[in-house]
Amino acid sequence: MKKITIALAGNANVGKSVIFNYLTGLHQHIGNWPGKTVEKAEGTLFHGDYTIDIIDLPGIYSLSTFSIEELISREYIVKEKPDVVINIIDATNLERNLYFTLQLLELDRPMIIALNQMDLAEKKGICINIKKLQKILGVPILPVIATQGKGIHGLVHKALDLADKGQKIKKIDYGKEVEREIKKLTKSLKKIELNYPKKFLAIKLLEGDEEIKKLIKKLDPKIIKMAERSAKTLEAIHGHHRFTVIASERYKIANEIVKDSVTIGICKFKFSDKIHEITTHGILGYLIMILSIISLFYIIFTFGNFFSEILVEYGMGLKPIYEQYFGTGIVSSLAWGIIEGAVAGITIILPYIFPFYFILGALEDSGYLSRIAFLMDGFMHKIGLHGKAFIPLMLGYGCNVPACLGCRIMETYREKLIGIFVTTLIPCAAVTIIILSLVGKYIGFEWVFFLYVINLVIVFILGRIAFKIFPGEPTGLIMEMHSYRIPHLKTVAKQAWFRIKEFIYIALPLIIVSSLVIKVLEVTVLSDVLENLMRPITIDWLGLPSFSGTALIFGIARKELSLVILATRGGTTNFSIILNPVQMIVFSLVTMLYIPCIATVAALVKEIGWKKGIFITIFEIVFAIFVGGIAFRLLTW
Amino acid sequence: MPEKSMKLTDLKEGQKGIIFSIVGGRRVTQRLTDMGLTPGIEIKMLRKGRWGPVEISVRGSNLALGHGVARKILIKVKE
Repeated sequence: MKKITIALAGNANVGKSVIFNYLTGLHQHIGNWPGKTVEKAEGTLFHGDYTIDIIDLPGIYSLSTFSIEELISREYIVKEKPDVVINIIDATNLERNLYFTLQLLELDRPMIIALNQMDLAEKKGICINIKKLQKILGVPILPVIATQGKGIHGLVHKALDLADKGQKIKKIDYGKEVEREIKKLTKSLKKIELNYPKKFLAIKLLEGDEEIKKLIKKLDPKIIKMAERSAKTLEAIHGHHRFTVIASERYKIANEIVKDSVTIGICKFKFSDKIHEITTHGILGYLIMILSIISLFYIIFTFGNFFSEILVEYGMGLKPIYEQYFGTGIVSSLAWGIIEGAVAGITIILPYIFPFYFILGALEDSGYLSRIAFLMDGFMHKIGLHGKAFIPLMLGYGCNVPACLGCRIMETYREKLIGIFVTTLIPCAAVTIIILSLVGKYIGFEWVFFLYVINLVIVFILGRIAFKIFPGEPTGLIMEMHSYRIPHLKTVAKQAWFRIKEFIYIALPLIIVSSLVIKVLEVTVLSDVLENLMRPITIDWLGLPSFSGTALIFGIARKELSLVILATRGGTTNFSIILNPVQMIVFSLVTMLYIPCIATVAALVKEIGWKKGIFITIFEIVFAIFVGGIAFRLLTW
Repeated sequence: MPEKSMKLTDLKEGQKGIIFSIVGGRRVTQRLTDMGLTPGIEIKMLRKGRWGPVEISVRGSNLALGHGVARKILIKVKE
C-alpha cells in the first residue's frame, strides 16, 4: 500500500465540493482545522495500490492573509506538503480563477489544473485552447464536468503520475520593475530557513503581508527594512499601494493568458440571464423572494407535520411494549424519558430540519441565495451586517444551532457576534409549530403573520442597538454573482446531512439529558414548587395560568416540549379551554424570544465563549418576559 | 475626449467607467484588488439595487458590492 495526499484548492463556487464528494464518497470526515472554527473536509480514496488522502481546502480568491481561510490554506500547502495540489478552476470565469492559480504556482508544489464546468463554458460560447493554456502555465490541465462525473478519474491518474515523478513548476514573470525587487529580496533571503519558497516570501514581503513580515523579522530584521525600501520604490513608480501593484501585475498576467488561449464565440445561453434580471429586480425581485420564502415554509411545514405525526405514532407505539418488558417503576419511567427524548429529537430533525436544509442548500447551489443577499444587503446594513448574513438568518428558521455555526461565513468577529445574537432571536421550526398549534389553530393566520412581523421588528431594533454598542467598522458586501445553474442534488443532500450532523452532535445529547431531568421533575413534585415560585412572573406580570410556568421551564430543553407540557398540565389538547386568545398570543411571544433552547446555548458557548453566551441567554429571558408583559397589558387594555 | 471622475455609485445602469483609485483602508482595498478591481480596469454598472448595493461586471464576471464599498471606488468616465 502506498499513501499519498492530494489537496483540492480553488475559488468558491467552482464545483470543488462536487469533485470532493465524487472522489471520496462515504469515506469522509468533516471536522475543524486545529484551533479554528473553519471547516476541514477530509476524505479517503482507495485506488489500486494507493490510499489517497484528499483534503478539500476552503474556497478562496487569494493567498493573502485577508481571511483565516486563506491563511489556513497556504500554511497547509507549505507545511504539510501534499504530494499534489489539484487546482479546480471555473472555465466560465477564467481570469479571476487564474489569479488564484498564479498564487498557487508560487507555492511550488506539484500541481494539476481541473478545468471545470466545460459544458457551461461551451454554452456561453467560451472556447479554451487547453494545449496552449497548458504550455503557458507549465502544468497539466484536464477538462472536467464535475456534475456529470466526467474527467474526474483522469485527474486521479494524473495525480498519481505526478506524485511519482515530481514536477518542476514554472516561475511567473512579474515584469521588469517588480522582478528586479523580487531578485534583490530573494538574494537576501538565501540564509532564511522557512517552509515557504524564497520567491513566495519575497513577493509577500513586497505586498506587505503581516504574517510573513512577522516570521522574517524574528530571523533577520534587516530584510524587512530592505523590503520596505523596495516596496516604496514600486509605489513611487506605479503610484498605487504596494499590494495593489503586485495584484495588478498578477491580474495583467492572468488577462494575457486568457487573451492568448480563449476565443469567445456566440453565446447560446440567455435564459439564466433573464432569470437573473427578474430575481434581482427592484420590485419583482422582492415579490419573488417573499413568495419563495413563504412557499418554502409552506412545503416544509405541511410535509413535516404529516411525516412527524407518523414518526410520533411509531415512537409512542413502543411505549406499551416497553412497559410490558420493563414495568412502570421509577427507574423504568426515567429510562423511558431517555427514549422519549431521542424520539422527539428525531421527529424534529427528519421531517422538518433535513428538508429545510435540503431545499435551502439547493437554492444556495443554484445561485438564488446570493441574489437574496444582494436584495437584502441594504436592509442588513441597517443592523451593521451585510447581505450574506441573511443566509444564517434563514437557517435560523429551521434550527438555531446550525444557524449559529453558519455565522462563521461572516468576515470579522464583530459581525459574527452580531449575526449570532440576531439569529438566536429567530423563531425556529419548533417555535413555529407552537405558534401554529396555538395562534394558528385557535385565533387565525393573520395573527401568526403579525407575530412574525413583530419578531422581525424586534430583530431589527435589537440588531441595530447591538450594532451601535459593539465598536468597529462594518465590512461591506463583496460577493461573486455566478450564473444560475441547476443544483447538484447529491452534493446538496450531503451538505444538508453534514449540517444535521452538527445538530445531532451538539443538540441530541442535550435533548436526551434534559428529557431525563424533566422526567425527574414529573416523578417528584418539583414542578409544583417551580410553578409556585414563578407565579409573580406567570400570573401577575404575563397574565398566564400557573401551569404555564412548567411549560416555559421545559421549553428550555426543547421548545416544542412546552406545548406538550401545556397539554398534560392543563389536562387537555384543546388549548382553547385552558388558554384565552390573549394568553395564547402572550405565551407564543414569550416562547419566540425568551431563550434559545439549551442546544443553542451550547452552540453559542462553543462559538463565542461562556461569558458572551450566557450574557445573551440571560438578556433574552429578561427581554422576553418584559415584552410579554407589555403585550398582555396592550391586548387587555 | 474629456474625462470626468466620479464615484462608482454615480454611474448609471449600463454605463461604463475605468477605475483609477480605491480610497479605503488596507483590508477593503486588498479584497477588491483580489477580486480583480485593479486600477485601469473597465467596469460596467449592471444594476443598482434598492437601498444601496450595486452589481457590476468586471473581468468577464459579475460582482455584488455593498453601497459603502462601491462608494470607495473612484472611476473615470468618458463624456
